[in-house]
Amino acid sequence: MSELRARVDAMRPATPGPTRTADPQPPANFPTKGNYFGYIAFGLGSSLMLLVSMNIVRTLWALMEGEAAFRALMESFKHPAYVAFHALCFAWLVWVALRFFSLFPKTQPFRIGPFQRPADGVLVAGLYGIFVVATLVVAAILTGAIL
Amino acid sequence: MRTLMLKLEPIIWGLFGGGMFIGALVLPAWLLVVGVLAPTGIISATPLDFDHIYGLASHPIGRLVFLAAAALPLWAGAHQLRHIFLDFGGLSRDGLVGGVLYAIALVGSVLAVVAAVNL
Amino acid sequence: MAEKPTKTIVVTRFDPDVDEVPKTQEYTIPVEDDWKVLDALNYIKDEVDPSLSHRWSCRMAVCGSCGMTVNGEPKLTCKQSLADYGDRVEIAPLANFPVVRDLVVELEGFMDKFKKVKPWIVEAKEAAVVEGTNRQSHEELMDFKQFSMCINCMLCYSACPVVSNEPDFLGPAAIALGHRYNQDNRDHGDAERNEIFREDGGVFSCSYANECAEVCPKGVDPSGAIQQAKLNNVVDWAKGFVVPRGK
Repeated sequence: MSELRARVDAMRPATPGPTRTADPQPPANFPTKGNYFGYIAFGLGSSLMLLVSMNIVRTLWALMEGEAAFRALMESFKHPAYVAFHALCFAWLVWVALRFFSLFPKTQPFRIGPFQRPADGVLVAGLYGIFVVATLVVAAILTGAIL
Repeated sequence: MRTLMLKLEPIIWGLFGGGMFIGALVLPAWLLVVGVLAPTGIISATPLDFDHIYGLASHPIGRLVFLAAAALPLWAGAHQLRHIFLDFGGLSRDGLVGGVLYAIALVGSVLAVVAAVNL
Repeated sequence: MAEKPTKTIVVTRFDPDVDEVPKTQEYTIPVEDDWKVLDALNYIKDEVDPSLSHRWSCRMAVCGSCGMTVNGEPKLTCKQSLADYGDRVEIAPLANFPVVRDLVVELEGFMDKFKKVKPWIVEAKEAAVVEGTNRQSHEELMDFKQFSMCINCMLCYSACPVVSNEPDFLGPAAIALGHRYNQDNRDHGDAERNEIFREDGGVFSCSYANECAEVCPKGVDPSGAIQQAKLNNVVDWAKGFVVPRGK
């Protein structure tokens, strides 16, 4: 990605030294390789939440307006392009959720009062478990299987 | 605008974190059931039924969950998109882009609150 | 005796008196199995081309001088085995830094940021006089010990996409160090540091790419420190509303 550049003033000292310097280069593999790719894919994936949640706002709004508005919105969800979009969002957000939960433990303090933070592996396993249970419960409620 | 965003950054980051959590826990199931399985007829059409969804969304707890799922991930998405923009050299327009993105999240959140209150 | 194997070392060169922009130069040299990348550079400097400029000192991953970009990744060259690479090894200066000469980068920008976070114990003497010695339990030490292992090699700055794009960003090592002092029970500077952390280019500029933690040669976790510092700042900021802080 040669067109990507670091800013010329990246890491520039407040008082420049006496000799001329060459411009900073950006990280070599950004954004296509390794962890950078995952990072950008994560950012883009979670940006989709903006669109997905906008649809939940629309759903709430339609519920408020009445049955006809709600039916029209749900009917529009049947369009193949919409289904494809929702399927893409689903797959992407599942991956986003897993990466989010795997990066979550180390953002927490090592200790709160007398309580030590559990090992990262334990926390990640717990969060994955919560994710699976939450997804199944929400799906079951939406389908009417429970409640 | 940038100065204002900087001042509000702790609260925006809090909304972002909450949005990521709620979004990760609730949105996949919503997308799968209401976005894919029900519209394609793979499962019954119950998730698209007005009475069923209205019943869920108008329950006090349901109201809160729907509101959280509608409003918080807007902030997560806006915040992430702003940072992607910054990662590709957008610092000089951060005030405008960030401002617009957060404004979208704010308007969406207000609409969600209005709808959730008036169900 | 069998002939020694060779490798081609492609080195980025820049002479500010002559070159408009950096260029590359290739050296094909005999190598030993147990060489680190730094050994190859020192061989070139000693035996082939004395004009090559690179920084190094301790040769044991303590001084943090010899960070460079090896085959596109930031590496501590005294720690990185040459044998991990193929016949062609590209060595460039650390990304995200202005280049002074060849593989030597400008460090002063880093030092500016480093000093901003007040990387020392604030008000230690006053506390010591009044209360006797500064006691610290094992648990209290473990609250920050991880973050004090940093050797300031700047690989994390070189890997960070935010450093590329936001010149004011304090950066991974400096924030991790500031957080280390904030977590130290002997220190009383967290209010001052948190003000700095909430300024433009502070902790909230980090977008958690996590590459700093990936490249750190000492196993420090700067991205973890920054997220923890964000959390502390949210709490600190919220407390500011409940209990306004006098200046």
